[in-house]
Formats: sequence, structure tokens, C-alpha cells
Amino acid sequence: MLSATIWVPLIGAVLLAAWRDASPRGLRIAAVLIASIPLVLLVVAWVRFDAAADAPLFQLVEELRWISTLGVAWRLGVDGIALAVASVSALVFVAAVAYPPPNSASDEGRLRHYYAWLLFLDGISLGVFLALDLLLFYVFFDLSLVGMYFLIGRFGHGEDARRAALKFFIYTLGGSLAMLLGIIGLVLATDPLTFDMRTLIAAQPLSGGGTYAGLVLLGLILGLGIKTPIVPFHTWLPPAHVDAPGPASAILAGVLLKMGTYGLVRLPFSMLRETFAHYALPLAIVAVVSIVYGALVAWGQTNLKRRIAYTSVNHMGYVVLGIAAAAGLSGQASARAVALTGATFEMVAHALITGALFLIAGAFWQRGGEYELRAYGGLARRAPRLTGLTVLAAFASLGLPGLAGFVAEFQVFAGAFAVYPWLAAIALLGILITAALFLQMLQLLFFGELPARWSGFADLGWSETLVLCGLLLLVVVLGVYPGWALTVIGATATRLVAG
Amino acid sequence: MLWLLPLTAMLAAVLALGLRGRIALAAWGTAAMLAALGESAAAVLGDWSGQWGFGPAITLHARLAPASDVLVCLVPAVALPVVLFAAMHEARAGLTRLVALLLFFAGAMQLLVVADDLLTLLIGWELVGACSWALIAHDWRALENPRSATLALLVTRFGDLGLFLAAMTTFAATGSFAFEAIGTLHGWPLHLVAAGLLLAAAAKSAQLPFSFWLFRAMAGPSSVSALLHAATMVAAGAYLLVRLQPVLAGVGWVAPTVIGIGLATAVGGGLVAVFQPHVKRLLAASTSAHYGLMWVAVGAGYPLVALLHLVVHASFKALLFLSAGLAASAGGSALLADLGLGRRLPRLALLSLIGTLALAGVPPLAGAWSKELIGAAAEQWSPWLAAGVLLVGALSGCYAARWQWQVFGPSGGEGGELHARPGRGAMAAVTLLAVETLALSLLLAPPVRDWLAAGPDASAGSGLASALPSETLWMTRATLLALGVGLYAARWLVASRPRLGERDADGALADWLGLPTLVDTAVSRPLARLATAAARFDDAVLDAIPTGIARLGRWSVGVTARGIERVMDGAAEGAAWLTDGAGRDLRHLETGLAHHYLFWIAAGAVGMAAFVLLGA
Repeated sequence: MLSATIWVPLIGAVLLAAWRDASPRGLRIAAVLIASIPLVLLVVAWVRFDAAADAPLFQLVEELRWISTLGVAWRLGVDGIALAVASVSALVFVAAVAYPPPNSASDEGRLRHYYAWLLFLDGISLGVFLALDLLLFYVFFDLSLVGMYFLIGRFGHGEDARRAALKFFIYTLGGSLAMLLGIIGLVLATDPLTFDMRTLIAAQPLSGGGTYAGLVLLGLILGLGIKTPIVPFHTWLPPAHVDAPGPASAILAGVLLKMGTYGLVRLPFSMLRETFAHYALPLAIVAVVSIVYGALVAWGQTNLKRRIAYTSVNHMGYVVLGIAAAAGLSGQASARAVALTGATFEMVAHALITGALFLIAGAFWQRGGEYELRAYGGLARRAPRLTGLTVLAAFASLGLPGLAGFVAEFQVFAGAFAVYPWLAAIALLGILITAALFLQMLQLLFFGELPARWSGFADLGWSETLVLCGLLLLVVVLGVYPGWALTVIGATATRLVAG
Repeated sequence: MLWLLPLTAMLAAVLALGLRGRIALAAWGTAAMLAALGESAAAVLGDWSGQWGFGPAITLHARLAPASDVLVCLVPAVALPVVLFAAMHEARAGLTRLVALLLFFAGAMQLLVVADDLLTLLIGWELVGACSWALIAHDWRALENPRSATLALLVTRFGDLGLFLAAMTTFAATGSFAFEAIGTLHGWPLHLVAAGLLLAAAAKSAQLPFSFWLFRAMAGPSSVSALLHAATMVAAGAYLLVRLQPVLAGVGWVAPTVIGIGLATAVGGGLVAVFQPHVKRLLAASTSAHYGLMWVAVGAGYPLVALLHLVVHASFKALLFLSAGLAASAGGSALLADLGLGRRLPRLALLSLIGTLALAGVPPLAGAWSKELIGAAAEQWSPWLAAGVLLVGALSGCYAARWQWQVFGPSGGEGGELHARPGRGAMAAVTLLAVETLALSLLLAPPVRDWLAAGPDASAGSGLASALPSETLWMTRATLLALGVGLYAARWLVASRPRLGERDADGALADWLGLPTLVDTAVSRPLARLATAAARFDDAVLDAIPTGIARLGRWSVGVTARGIERVMDGAAEGAAWLTDGAGRDLRHLETGLAHHYLFWIAAGAVGMAAFVLLGA
């Protein structure tokens, strides 16, 4: 079943690319249908998942022989964390595919390729989250770069789209090479050789510590940290976002960034437990820098998309703080499990909220061809639906209770405080600065006088409204009744923390 | 079950979004608040409680403590007339949104009040703050209003960080968020929790140094001010102190700090109010001052007294804000000196008089009784504190009299036609609040109060009696004397300086003693500059590192290429020759015959399979 979630969109991508005489409408409907299949399959997986304490950690496992001498195989499976992140990724893909395509993909041939690349990236991304084999993980991780490179480079706007795409590609490729070295270093310590994540987690191959283990950890964290991104490796993110079309931006923020933090949980956190715990404090410090600095720089941006992009740096900082705290040496196991649960929940919440925000930014570009905040104003008059949904998304992003972001951030703070009280207290400043930057953003976009040039500004169309409502409805549901998701995530988090 | 209280109002808010028209909104809002009131009474009598699983490690708890018993009933009792007023009187633009938000505001406050743990409290606390943002920014067409809303939310959210900190500390130390768990803390976590709670309460209750946000909150319609000052938002801070006073009392420095902040705000707010020329801002400054008095009562160890004053203040302050809104729209100006509507609006003037007398603390109105109790509580702490409370009493007498005299006095204004006549629905709302004020006056009058305190149940009654300070004759007389001085000063002030506070010199005094300017230059602007600088640093320095590395790479490639150009050139030419030959050979394969192609495809497949098998 999990294999199908990967192969259906990949095959769908090939079919769409070959479908020559399709109408734009037909293409869009077909793409939405294909992208919905993995989502439905993952919902089924969610129902079948057993969160009991004595159930196996990885469930719904599928295994196919591949390169036996190297211990490589087609291995898929999920724990609570992978399931949550994969499901939300599948949902973000459905939203991105269903959203109106960017103007740059308007002519027929390009539209076909646009949907094909989206579906290709869909299958590849789900592969990252479902893989139980390190080599498979690495292959999917790298292929995701290819998909995103073409989405930004071919369908991006602005004169710099190619350049931004190349910067994104080379920067993150450099990161994944560091990760590859780390993976090889880790696997070489196993005997017999295996890329099986379950074996690696159980065996803890480099548990002695030492320089070698430290270097392996460094490679992994560098690679995953660039993808996350953590300060100071984040500068590829804003240009990539600014030039990417709205739906691709939503995927970049909602899905691709999660590969970094999900990888942190899956690889170093689980497989190098002792070494990771040893270096958890520096990582937590970097996370707090990302939180405060990311928020501050976001506040200093005058460009809508750059501002949202930098809030991603801030939010991913919460995730990394939660992961580092969960690995910390001090603090009760229950509090550390709360931190890891919060970090995972933040991945889900950020995917939905920031995904929605980038789709909204796309709507601005489609209508105004402009991201400068000060160019807008008074739009509440013309576009009440856009205003209402943006206000909701902004408040979700600044962590208003009753919405998903709060549940996540609060758990990260509460759990991290038990381990690193000072760092958690400093990190609190992040929610104040994000409040400032989002409120100012709303003010500049929607309130006050309406400039004459926007007197014809159109409100959201029905498909845009529907997609955004869908994402934000889930944000509300997860904020009011997070229990159903937290039970599944928490069960896994408790076991990972206990080791 | 207890969740029903907040949910009723919140759900009513969501459903109200589908309604249009004044009558429909007024009926729906009134009905919702009546239902909430009935549920609150049932909850108090039936001792309801509630639990909500938030996840495997976290559960939300709701339970009614004695202080929350009072508040859950107060919130809908004040919100009902306010919502009625809003639906019948406020501008038509965005009226549905306004009514829905007011209902949601009341619901969020109910959530805050029923909370029995820090997390539930925090959820209600932040929702109340967000609602007030949306309500202050209600008329978003004038950019000044959303700006004011943003400032109000940021100041109060800064205080919210204290609540976050308190909740995190309690959870880290005990594994629970429950209020009871705070009592089991000791050492630095307890101090941290106390400091966090005080910070949160001070910001919400508009105590010094945060008082100025309340002036900015005046950007909202007057119904918003009425609810925000009386039963929600600002009330939350004082409620938190009252609710957690038993826990906080164990920390030595808390009581003096609470008293210090409270007294400073009460005196400062009183002075600011005396100088304020603006009909709503005068009331706003007086709100800070009255909450300051509640802080004093809590610090002196009498939370029940603070709670009584909270309830009394809620009824008369809501009354006064609604009446201020009506007066300002009738007179066409928000400046005290321009009004003088008494002859033209005699009924409204009379109803307002009930409110101002209560605000000044003139017996037999409720404000007098609760203020006397605060004086008595202060006297038990120290005579100096009592003297401070007397000063506050004199100030409130002065500004209350100034307000009533200038707004509804015979003089001032040009006379002539009214800009707008108060409608029947709005007057009904004002009357309702006046009746509530009178009823409270009766309930709190010393004979009735003593009878109630003795109570049918002797054991419970004695507990209640000991929660009230015993009054001394000396203090009662001194309070009346101070009030007299205040009223006399007001008479002089109105006669000789009717436009006090309108010019620059005393205007700064009237604008919270220059506090907003100080915060703007010392905090807001530097922070905004820091953000811009950080953004520039990010582009100029952090991004330069990878860009520099990329350039270095390109440069080294260039050097290498030039250095071994010849070798490379030769190699390239050789490769070209080779490719040429291979191409010629390959052309032979392009036979155009399908079976040839098939053969090569099959061969390729076999080759790949062999490769994989050998690897395996």
C-alpha cells in the first residue's frame, strides 16, 4: 500500500507528460485525482496504524530485495511521526495541484509539464518520509531537489528565477553530499553491511562516541540543517521562495523543509542517540538563534514572500529546538517526549499554515504582479474573503490558541523548558516578534486607504477559496481537538525518547 | 459540561455571521447572552466541571472556584446590554462582524474564567487578546485604528509571555499545568511563576508601565470599550490575581510589589484622568486607576474585596462608556468641553449620573461601599497605604464630577440641534446597566451585606465575613472627606479651566505622563531599526559566505582551465575525433529495421540484468 502512494503519482506524472491533446481543465482534474490517491491511502494507513505501547514501532512495512550484498532493499514503513508528516505532505500536494496554476504555466505544453513535475515531486517527497532504507531515503532526498529545481527554474517568475533555482540546487546538493558522507560513515560501522533503518536504530552502530561518530553526526546535521534550514545556512531559501510560483512555494515550505527536520529525527536522533545527545545543547542554541534571528529578519523584510519565507526559518527553529531538547541529557523523559511531540506537530502545523500563506502570496502575484507590502493597502474593501483567510492564517502562524500552531509551539516550549530553561525562555521572544511582523503585514496589505491602482483587485475565486478553507479548517480542527493526532505522534515520540 | 459556557457564546458568534439587520442581530445577541447567563447560573448551582483531552500528556481542566462563580455570571450580565447597544447603535458598516466578535469575546472570557489550569487559562487569555485586536481595529478604513490595535495586542502579548513562562515552569517542575500544582512549587520555580503571573496580569489590567495601551484601545467603538473595560480583557488581569492570590501570597515579595504597582497606577491614572479632555480617554484612565485599587486590595490580602470592586466597576463603567458613546455622537465631538448635553438629553444625563456617582464613590451607590472596603483593607496593611487610597478617592471624585458636569452639564457647547438622537434600543441597554448598578448598590449596602455574610449557613458565612476587612469609623469619615475635596476641586476646575488637557503642555500629562512617547522612542523604534538592520546583515554578510564560496570555486576553475588549457584542448580534440568515429560506426546501426532495434533493446536489457545480478 505504501509503495502505491509513491508509484501512483510517479506514474501519473509520466502519463500527464505524455497526454498531448489534454485541455487545461482536464489536466487539472486529472492531476488532482492522481494526487488525491496517496492522500486517501495515507488516511487508510492512519486508520490501520496501531498506537498501542506494545505495537511495533514501524508498521505497514513493505520489503523487496534489491542489492543484497550492500544490505540495500526497497523498504517502506511508518511510525507515528513519519505517518503524520507524510499525510500532511500528501495533503499539501493536493492543495498545490488544485490551486490555479501560475500564469507562467499557461500555455498548453508547459501546463502539462507543470503538473507532471508536481506529481513527480509528490511521489518523491512521500518516498522520503516512507523510506525505511537509508539509501532509498538518500535517493528520494536528492531527487526532490531535481523536481523543485525545475518547478522554480521553469515556472518561476522574475528575472532571477533560473539563478535562484540554481542557488537552491547547488546549496542543498552540497548539503546532501555532506549527508551522504555521514550516511556512508554510519553504514560502514555496521557488520554485516545494512542500510535498514530498523537495524541501524536497534544496533546504534557508533554508540562508543569519539571523533568518528562526531564527524558522522556533523555530516548528517550539516546536510539536514541546510535543508531545514537553520541559521546560518538559510540564505538559499528566500530567493528560491520569491521566484517560485505560489503552489511550488507552498510545497517548498510545507514539504521540502520538513525533509530536513524529519531527517534529524529519523537519522541522527534515532541512530546516533548518544552522540546526538552529547551535541544537543549546541544544536539547541543554533535553534534558538534561528527562532529569534529568523523572526527579526522576517520583520525587517518589505517583501511579502521574503517575509513569509523568513518566518519559516523561525518556525523550523521551534522544530529543531524541540528535537534537540528531546535528545537532551537532563530533564524527565515525559517532558522530552512532549518536546518531540511538539516538534512533530509543528512540522504538521507549519506545513498547513505556511502552505496556506504561500498560496495566498501566489494569489497576490497573480493579481498584482507585486510582492512589495507597501504597494498594497486597503484591500479588505475589495477582497473580504482573501482578507479573512489571510487574517486566520497569520494568526495561526503567530501561534494563536485554538489553532494548530499554538498546540505545537506550546509543547515545544513546555518540553524544552524542562531541559534547557534559559533557551526556552529566550525562544519565547520569537512569538512576540512574529506577532509584530504578521500584524504589521495585515495592516499594510488590507487596511487603510485603497490605492487607486488596485480598484479592480479581484477577490479569491472559488477554487482558491476552497483550497485555502480546506487547509485552514484542518488548522482549526488540529488546534481545538489535537488529541487524535497527538496520540499517534506521542506514542512514537515516547518510544523514541526512551530509546 | 462546563465547556458549554464558553462554547455557547463562541458558537453564537459563528452563527451570527449569517445574520443581517439591526433587529436580527440584537435579538440573536441578547438571546445568546441570556442563554449564557442561564447556563452560568446552572453551572454555579450545579457545580459543573469539565475535562478535554489535548493529547496523551496534556488535559485541559475547567472548574468553578468562588471567584469564577461571580465572574461567569458577570460576563454575560454585562455583555448582554453591550451587545444590544452595539446592534442597535453602532455604524452599519461591519455591524455583523462587530456583534459576532463581541459575542466571541465574551465566550473567550468565559473560557478564561472557568479555567482550572494554566494552559486553559492561557488559551482563553490569548483569545481574549486576539478578539480585542479585531475589535479595536473594527473600523479598519482609518489606518490609525489597526495601528492602535496592533500596539494594544503587542503590549498585552508581551505580558502573555509571563503566562507562558509560568505555565512552562509549572509543567517542567511538576509535570502538570493545574493551579494546585503551583502551590507545591518552591525555590526559583515558584518565584518565576509568581513573576510571570504578575507580568501577565499587569499588562492585561493596564497597570504601570503598560497602562498606555488602554488609550490606544479607545480607537474601537464605544461598545467595544464598554465590554473590554468592564467584563473582559482588562478584568482578566485582576481576576487572575484574585483567583491565584492564595498561591501567590506565599511568595514574600509579591504582596508589596502588587500594592506598589496598584497604588502607583491608581494615583497616576487618577491624575491622568483629571487632566484628560477626551470623553472616552478620561474613563479609560479611570479604569487603570480602579484596577490599581483592586491590586491594592489583593496585595493587602483581601481578594474578595477586589472581586466586589471588579463587579461594581464592571456595571458602572460599561454604563458610562455606552453613555459616552451616545453623548459623543449626539454632540458631534469627543471633547468634554464641547458637550454640555444635559438639557437636551435629560434621561441619558440622569442614567449617567447613577454611573458617575458610583464612579466617584458617593453613598449609597455601590462604588462607595466597595471603595470603603478597599480603604479598610489598606488601613490594615499600613496607614500610609490608607492615605494613598484616600488620595485616589479624592481624584476619582474629581474626574467623575468633571466628566458628568462637562458632558451633561447645562453650560458649554453651542446648544442647537443634536447630531444624532439616541435610539430606543441603545437607551434600553444603558437603562439595563443603570438598573444593574442600583441593584448592586443595594446588595452591597452594609446592612444587607452583613446579613448576607452571616448567611443562612453559619459556617460558610463566617468564612465570608473573615474575608472582608472590618471598617473603622475614622476611615469611613476620611473617605467621605476626601470625596468632598475631590468634588470641590472639580467644581473649581470646570469653572476656571474647562479645556484642561487640550493643549500641548498639559496634554503630555493627560497622555499617560508621556509614557507612550517614551516607549515609542526607547522600545518600538529601536526594535524596528534592529529588525531592518538584521535584514540588511542577512543579505550583506550571511548570504555573502556561500556566494563567496561559489565565486571562489568559479575562479579556481578558471585558473585551472587556463593552466592546463593545452592539455585539455588536446584531450578535447582527441575526444572529438573519437566521437566522430563512433558516430560513423553507430550510423550503421540505424538501419530503420524494427527487428534490429528490438535486438539492441533486448541486448541492453540482458546487459543491465547481468549487471544487477553480478552486483547481487
